[in-house]
Amino acid sequence: MDLRNTDEGTHKSLEQPLNSSLSLVRRKLVLRDTLTFLTLSLVVVALYAVTSFLFRSFEAHREALAVRWASRGEVLLKNGKPDQAVSALRTSLSFAPDDRPRQMLLAAALAESNRIDEASNYFLNLWESQPGDGFINLQLARLARRKANTSQAIDYYRAAIFGSWPGDAITRRRDARLELSDFLIQTGDLASARAELLVAARNAPETLDMDIGFGDRLLQAHDPSDALFYYQKGIARDPRNLTALGKAAQLTYDTGQYALASSLAFRAARLEPATVAEESTRTALKTIAANSERLLDLSLERDLSPRKRTEHLLTASSIARKRIESCIAANTGNQTTVPPELISLKNSWTEASSKLTRRTLEEDEVTQNRLTQLIDDTEIQTAPVCGPPTGDDALLLLLANRRHTAAQ
Amino acid sequence: MESPPKMTIAGKDPQESGGVVQPAMREERLFLLLSIFIGIISGLLVVSFRMAIEWLSVLLLGSAPAPHQVRLLIAPTVAGIVIALLTRFVFPQVRGSGVNQTKAALYIHNGYISIKTMIGKFLLSALAIGSGHSLGPEDPSLQIGAGVASKIGRSVGLSRERLRMLAPVGAAAGLAAAFNAPISAILFVIEEVIGQWTAGVLGSIVLSAVSAVVVARWFWGAQPMFRIPSVTLRDPRELLAYAVLGVVGGVASLFFAKALGYLRPKLRGQPQWFQMMQPALAGSLVGGIGYFGLPYVMGAGYGAIDQAMHGQFAFKMLLLLAVFKIIATTLSFSSGTPGGMFAPTLFTGAMLGAAVGSFENHIFPHLTGSVGSYALVGMGVLFAAFLRAPLTSVFMVLEVSGNYSIILPVILANTIAYLISRSLQPVPIFEVFTHQDGLYLPSMEEEREDSHLRFEDALLPVSAPILQGSETIWNSMKIVGQHKEIADAPAVLVQCKDGAWYAAKQQELQTIFAGIGNDSSHAEAGLTLEERLGPERTPLMFPDQMLSSALPYFRRWPLIPVSNRAMRGALEGVLSLEDVLNRYQRQ
Repeated sequence: MDLRNTDEGTHKSLEQPLNSSLSLVRRKLVLRDTLTFLTLSLVVVALYAVTSFLFRSFEAHREALAVRWASRGEVLLKNGKPDQAVSALRTSLSFAPDDRPRQMLLAAALAESNRIDEASNYFLNLWESQPGDGFINLQLARLARRKANTSQAIDYYRAAIFGSWPGDAITRRRDARLELSDFLIQTGDLASARAELLVAARNAPETLDMDIGFGDRLLQAHDPSDALFYYQKGIARDPRNLTALGKAAQLTYDTGQYALASSLAFRAARLEPATVAEESTRTALKTIAANSERLLDLSLERDLSPRKRTEHLLTASSIARKRIESCIAANTGNQTTVPPELISLKNSWTEASSKLTRRTLEEDEVTQNRLTQLIDDTEIQTAPVCGPPTGDDALLLLLANRRHTAAQ
Repeated sequence: MESPPKMTIAGKDPQESGGVVQPAMREERLFLLLSIFIGIISGLLVVSFRMAIEWLSVLLLGSAPAPHQVRLLIAPTVAGIVIALLTRFVFPQVRGSGVNQTKAALYIHNGYISIKTMIGKFLLSALAIGSGHSLGPEDPSLQIGAGVASKIGRSVGLSRERLRMLAPVGAAAGLAAAFNAPISAILFVIEEVIGQWTAGVLGSIVLSAVSAVVVARWFWGAQPMFRIPSVTLRDPRELLAYAVLGVVGGVASLFFAKALGYLRPKLRGQPQWFQMMQPALAGSLVGGIGYFGLPYVMGAGYGAIDQAMHGQFAFKMLLLLAVFKIIATTLSFSSGTPGGMFAPTLFTGAMLGAAVGSFENHIFPHLTGSVGSYALVGMGVLFAAFLRAPLTSVFMVLEVSGNYSIILPVILANTIAYLISRSLQPVPIFEVFTHQDGLYLPSMEEEREDSHLRFEDALLPVSAPILQGSETIWNSMKIVGQHKEIADAPAVLVQCKDGAWYAAKQQELQTIFAGIGNDSSHAEAGLTLEERLGPERTPLMFPDQMLSSALPYFRRWPLIPVSNRAMRGALEGVLSLEDVLNRYQRQ
């Protein structure tokens, strides 16, 4: 026990100076490490200050170069030198790669210089970061259209319509939709084109130009009834507008609505022309008016009263008989043989004339129809042999062709 | 449960005593903090390095270099003369890319990279790349980072081992800042510089890389280096197209490596006066390539990579650029001009990728991959095949593009290219350079593929006698006395409770038995054998552990019982020192 006590005493007496020297070492180490990190912090601060200063100057220099090359590119693009604009804009972007307007400009320059794939790739990269951007989608749609990639073009057009547009978004979206409808008409997808046009028309501002524009596009999309609706809407907005009246008159004339065509054409023809072009339009409309009037007189439609239809049939018969006779005579005079179908027609006329009286014709609808058919056949079959008809024959041929098409 | 029992009996933590931080513990903590400073300082220097390159480029080559500009010929030639003079008389250690120099610092010079070398690398690499030499800034950045780490480590007075490990920490920071890609930098340093996942240094590497990237992004912004549209693989057969790219990349990397492997020693074997002229000659030839139509091959070429990704080069142009970039880089690098190989490798890969993409899109227009996606995969392909860093190459592509959708094509193409390159060029290019320089640094690729022996490779069935630890000493003595084979065995295994084992030498047992003599009433005769043996037990080892890890234990134990991981206490076999040595000798 004594020995142990002695040992402990020795241990304690040794521990005290050891502990004090250890804590001295510890203090020295802590001081040294603190100084080390303080020095390193100062180095970092100094280095950061120098780097920041240099970087600001560097960035300013790069920005100046970027602006200089971008404006050069813009000028070149405006001057119709897209190839040179591309390299100038590329140089500009090498100094300021994230400048979005310049990226757009470069992509547009690429597209303009017919580097379709490059432009597509460029816009696709921009699209990647902003897939909802209306402008980028519209550009991609146009490029896909140029690459004849129909489905992709339609997808991008739709994305452009529903995309975001800075500023006048409504106008941009409508323009994109109209461009899509033009594209759909071009590809022959008329039903989709009509749908797009009707949606666009319902959201369009109420102006005469819009009405006429939608009328024109709907007509291209083979939708004459809606086209007429918009022309008439335009006429209602401005009853003295020669363009609207003229287009509506022409449309109604082409679709066989001769009464309406006549009325519209007469209204248009009464207007005072302001320009030479309007004068020529007015002249054409006068012809439409006259033709429409005459076509109403020559109409052989079944919805006419029996008496009126009989009168029209007799007039038309007389014209058609003269046509076949003159045609046969003209061919007989030459050394060519008269085509057998004309001979057959002539025989049919001889046979019909022998039985034909006003009374029988008025009372028998079957005979009316047969005679109508004979008139139509005469005008249709003489045209290739004796040349295009003129005057009443031309109008009868028009009616005949219309009936023929409707029957098919 | 799996960790072996402590070999030391001391109750105190060996790292701390009486509240005083021991040197090892202090260094460990210091090491982590220093890593952050290394990252920040390296990041700042790399930002300045990149600025210097771009500034010099505008100054020497103009803001829009184009063919037939005389300065394209003059700038790299004059810069070559300046570089040759400074390399010869002021900074003799700055030749090369920087990767091997960092490895040499780690394995030969105890982590030492002089401040002079670091400054020289900064200045001369910036001048070389800025004047149009076909080299890249990443490898010099790596060495600059390593130099920063070395300087800081020396100033703080770290131990030799810590100082050595600080070089890769700085290297990761430099590379991460240059690439704006921390994961790639970490992986590259582990794959190519250290060669193994060491927990001790991994934390520091991550800290320094992240700090460096934070600094780089503070200045340059966080956007990825390249942006390409998302890749949607609608048809898995399209992967075949990427596989073709892998084959092309593998073969191209072979040409690149062969060209460098041939020209570099040839030029270095020339007389001193001719070596002095080489950077200028290389500069004039590279400038000539630029002057006569391909200015894109000059410098690092990131602008051209971006253009290739956006499909702005035609097929023939892409092939020309790839071929002439290989030629220009071979000339620049072999002439001893300081600068890196990463950027030229990425450039060549991008051009080849875009060329393959253009060709395949032309032949198979239904393929969904854009030229940009092929260019990006091409970059990874050449990185994997030429630099032989397959894992880094995959992550590098993901990080520089910020696009994960490309992952499948990248993995496939990189693997193919890597395998082709390995079979055609067994020695990686960095190793070729070290051999040419007369150094023998460890090959990380070989090290990765070394097969390590494990316990199961040397394991033998249990032949040693087994005694139960729960038996009394008296009974155990009787058992040993009755069985001659136990008494003759040099070592006996004692099975203790809780599945632990004690491998006792015969002599140790006999000493215990001799203590009680033939007196069954002796105080110790009733003790159980395991009580008498004390708390110490033979370490718990398992068949899948490294065989080399057994060696230290044979100093204390005659045998190592190897346990089953699923059944505690069940033995798979035993190992003696002789068994281990025999197994190693058979290897």
